[in-house]
Amino acid sequence: MSVRAADLPLHAVSWLVWKILPGRAATKMAEFSHTEAGSGLDMLAATEETPRPELRARYFRHALDELRHARLFRERAGALASARSPQGRSRAQAVLEDGGYLASQGIRGSESLFRQLGELEFLAFVWVHEKRGAEQFDLYASLLRDDASTAAMFAEIARDERFHIAYSRAELDRYTKAGATHDVRWAVLRVRGRRAWQGWLRLTRDLGNAMAGLWLGLLYLLVIGPFSLVARATERPVGGILAAPPRAPAAERARGMA
Amino acid sequence: MSYVLGLSGLYHDSAAVLLHDGKVVAAAGEERFSRVKHDAGLPVLAARWCLQHAGIAAGDLTCVVWYEKPLRKFERILVTQVAQFPRSARAFRRSTFNWLTDKLWVKSSIVTELGVPPEKVLFSDHHQSHAASAFYASPFSEAAVLTVDGVGEWATTSLYRAGPGGLEPLAEILFPDSIGLVYSAFTAYLGFQVNDGEYKVMGMAAYGQPRYEAEVRRVLRLQADGAYDVDLDYVSYHWSAEDSFTPALARLLGPPRFPGAPFDPTTPEGQRYADIAASVQKVTEDALVGLAGWLHARTGLENLCLAGGVALNSVANRQLLLRGPFARLYVQPAAGDAGGAMGAALWAWHEVLGNPRAAEPVALSTPGLGQAWSDDAIGALLADLRVKHEAIDPEQVPERAAADLAEGKVLGWFQGRFEWGPRALGHRSILADPRRADMTDRINAKIKFREAFRPFAPSVRAGDEARYFDVPPGGELLAEWMLLVAPVRTAELPATTHADGTARLHVVRFEANPLFHSLLDTFGDATGHPVLLNTSFNLKGEPIVASPVQALATFFRSGLDALYLGSFRVEQSQVEG
Repeated sequence: MSVRAADLPLHAVSWLVWKILPGRAATKMAEFSHTEAGSGLDMLAATEETPRPELRARYFRHALDELRHARLFRERAGALASARSPQGRSRAQAVLEDGGYLASQGIRGSESLFRQLGELEFLAFVWVHEKRGAEQFDLYASLLRDDASTAAMFAEIARDERFHIAYSRAELDRYTKAGATHDVRWAVLRVRGRRAWQGWLRLTRDLGNAMAGLWLGLLYLLVIGPFSLVARATERPVGGILAAPPRAPAAERARGMA
Repeated sequence: MSYVLGLSGLYHDSAAVLLHDGKVVAAAGEERFSRVKHDAGLPVLAARWCLQHAGIAAGDLTCVVWYEKPLRKFERILVTQVAQFPRSARAFRRSTFNWLTDKLWVKSSIVTELGVPPEKVLFSDHHQSHAASAFYASPFSEAAVLTVDGVGEWATTSLYRAGPGGLEPLAEILFPDSIGLVYSAFTAYLGFQVNDGEYKVMGMAAYGQPRYEAEVRRVLRLQADGAYDVDLDYVSYHWSAEDSFTPALARLLGPPRFPGAPFDPTTPEGQRYADIAASVQKVTEDALVGLAGWLHARTGLENLCLAGGVALNSVANRQLLLRGPFARLYVQPAAGDAGGAMGAALWAWHEVLGNPRAAEPVALSTPGLGQAWSDDAIGALLADLRVKHEAIDPEQVPERAAADLAEGKVLGWFQGRFEWGPRALGHRSILADPRRADMTDRINAKIKFREAFRPFAPSVRAGDEARYFDVPPGGELLAEWMLLVAPVRTAELPATTHADGTARLHVVRFEANPLFHSLLDTFGDATGHPVLLNTSFNLKGEPIVASPVQALATFFRSGLDALYLGSFRVEQSQVEG
C-alpha cells in the first residue's frame, strides 16, 4: 500500500496505536463505538428533521449502519479488552461505560447537527467525514491484517462508508447540476474549515484543561493542604439522625442558590 | 393561568416538568430527546419540548425552579475534599473544574438556554424536591415522607411530616453516611455501573442468600433507633472521583466482580456475588424499615411517601409494606433525580406561590406525560422511509396485537405519550406472552442483547392481580408504576417469574392507559390470562425510545417480530436506502 506524504503522520500514529501500545486498541475501539453511536444519532435526527422525503430513507439507512458499527466496535472493544491486563481492561471498560463520553469530547450539543448546518452543508459534512472515515478504516484494516476478525470488521465498515460517500456525493452533484455549484463548493469548504477549527478547539481545550489541572493542583497543595490541618483538628460531625435545622419561609429560601 | 417549570440535572437523569395551574401537563427525561442514557446535562431539550407542548413561550412562565441548591452542594464537595487531603487530589481537580466552568453557573445557563428572566429562576433543595414529588403527587392529604438517595446538598436521608400546611422537615442524616452511596459502592463492587446498575444488583440478589449480612453490616452500621452510619474505611466515594469502594471491601468480601464478566449463579464465584447482592439488599431493607419506624413513632401517621433513588428499589418497597409500620405506601414513577424536577415545581406551586392543595387530593393518574405522535405523522414517516407496513383500524389494534402475542410473537409497542420515569408502562414497551418459558432467554439474548439473569416484569389488568400475585395491602399505588415486587401465585407465568418466585408487577387501570388495558383484555379473552410480559422498548445501554424514528431504528436492530407504531403494524424487512 503506497502512502502519500500528507498521510504519513496518520500512518505513524495508527501504527503506534494498533501495533505497539498495549491495551490502546481496545480503548480506541471503545471510543470509536461512541463516535459511531453519535453519528447514528445525528443521522436519526436528520431523518426526523429533513423536509425532503427522498433523503429521509437514505439518512435512516445511514443511521442504522452507524448504530450497527457502534455495536461492532463495542463488541470488539470487549473482546480485545478481555485479552488484556486488568488495568487495560478497566480503561476500555471505563470508556465503554462513559455515557457522557461524547459530551466530554465537546461533540453533540442541544441542537442537532442537521439543524445547525442545514441540508446542503449537512450533506457536505457527511461526504467529507465519511470519505475521511473510509480512508482511515482502510488503513486500519491493512495494519491489522494479522488480526483477521478486527480487519474483517474494518473492511465491513469501510464498505458501508463507501455507500454513504456515494449517496452524499450524488446529492451534492444534484445540487451542482441544479446550478448551485458555488454553494456546494462553499459548503464543502466550510465543512473542511470547521473540521480544522474543531481540531484547533480540541487542542486548545485539552491545553486549557491541562493548565487548569495544573493550577488546581497547585491550589490544592498550597491552599487546601493547610486548610485540611484545621479541618482535621475538628472531629467528624456526629452521625445519626439529626434534627432538621430551622428554615426561613419558602418564598425567601427559593431566591437563593445557597 | 400559571405555568411553573421544574428542572433537574447536572448530575444524572436530568428532566423537565411543566405544571399548569398546579397540574402536571408535561414531564420528560432529557435522555429521551438527547438519546444519552441518564443524561447529566441541563435538560434543555426536555424543557423546550414542555413549553412547545403547552404552546407557551418562556416569558409566559410564572417561574422556573431548579431542584437543588448549587452553592450548598459545592460547599459540601469542597469541605469533604479539604478533610480528605491529600487523597482527594484527583477528585478535587476534576470536580472543582466542573463546578467552576459549568455547574455553578446553572442560573445563567437556564436564563440563556431558555430565555427566562433571571428573577423568575428559583431554587428548591434536593431532598425537599424529592419529598414534594412524592407527597404532592400522592392521593394522601397527610403523610410521613422519607427521602433516601445518594446525596443532595448535605443530606442523604430526610424525614418529613406533610399535610395541608406543606412539608415540615423533622430530621436528616448527612453525607458521608448514605444508604444510596453504599448501595452504589456495592453496585461497583459487583461489576455494574454506578447510577445505572443498581437495579441489576436487585435482580442478582434473587439468586442468593444473605450469607454476607454480617460483613455488609460492618460497612452500613444500623442502629436500634433507625439511624445508621457508614464505616468509611470500606468506601471511597467521599474522596475519589473514579472509585466508590476501597481494597478493604475486597479484603472483607473477596475479589470484586470484573465489569462485563458473565454471571453464572451455578458456579461458586457466581454464588458468592449473588449472596453479596442478597446481603446488600437485605441490609438496605432493614435500614429502610428502621427509618420508617423512626418516622412512624414521630408522626403516628398511616401513610408513607417515599422518594429518592432508593425508592426505586421495588424489593425493598415490599419489605417496607410487610415489615414497616405504615398502612399505605406511595412512590411516584420517577422517584430518582429526574423526579426532583417534578418536586421542585410542585413545591414552588404550593409553598412559594401559596396555592393550597385540594382537600381530597388526586394522585398522578397516568405515567403518559411525554411526547406523542399522530397517526398521520407516523404514516407519512413510514411512507417516506419506504418501510413495509399495514395500516390498521385503530379499534382493531388490540385485537391484532393480542393475536400476534398469542402466537408467540414478540412485539414493539409504541402508543401515545411516552412514560414519565424509568419504567416502560405500556406506552413504549416490548411485549410478549409470559406463559412461554423460553421468552426470557429469547428476549434477553436476541432482542435486547442484555444479561441472561435479568428478569422481565408482568403487566396485569387491574382487578386480576390477586389471581396471580400476592400483593401486600397498601401497595396498590406502587404496583401501578411497577415499583413493587410480589410473590407469584401461579406457575403459569414462567417468563415473568424471577429466580426467587417473585415478579415486579405492573397493574394497569383503564383510566391510566385505556389502549394497553384493552390489549390486556383482548389477550385475556384469547388465552384466559390478562397478563403480558412487559419490558422497556430499548436495547442495552440505550434510553427507552421516544419518537417513531427511534422506535423503527431499535426495531430493525433487534429480533422483534413486529412493531405496533400507533395504528400501523410493521414487520421486519429490509430498509431501502
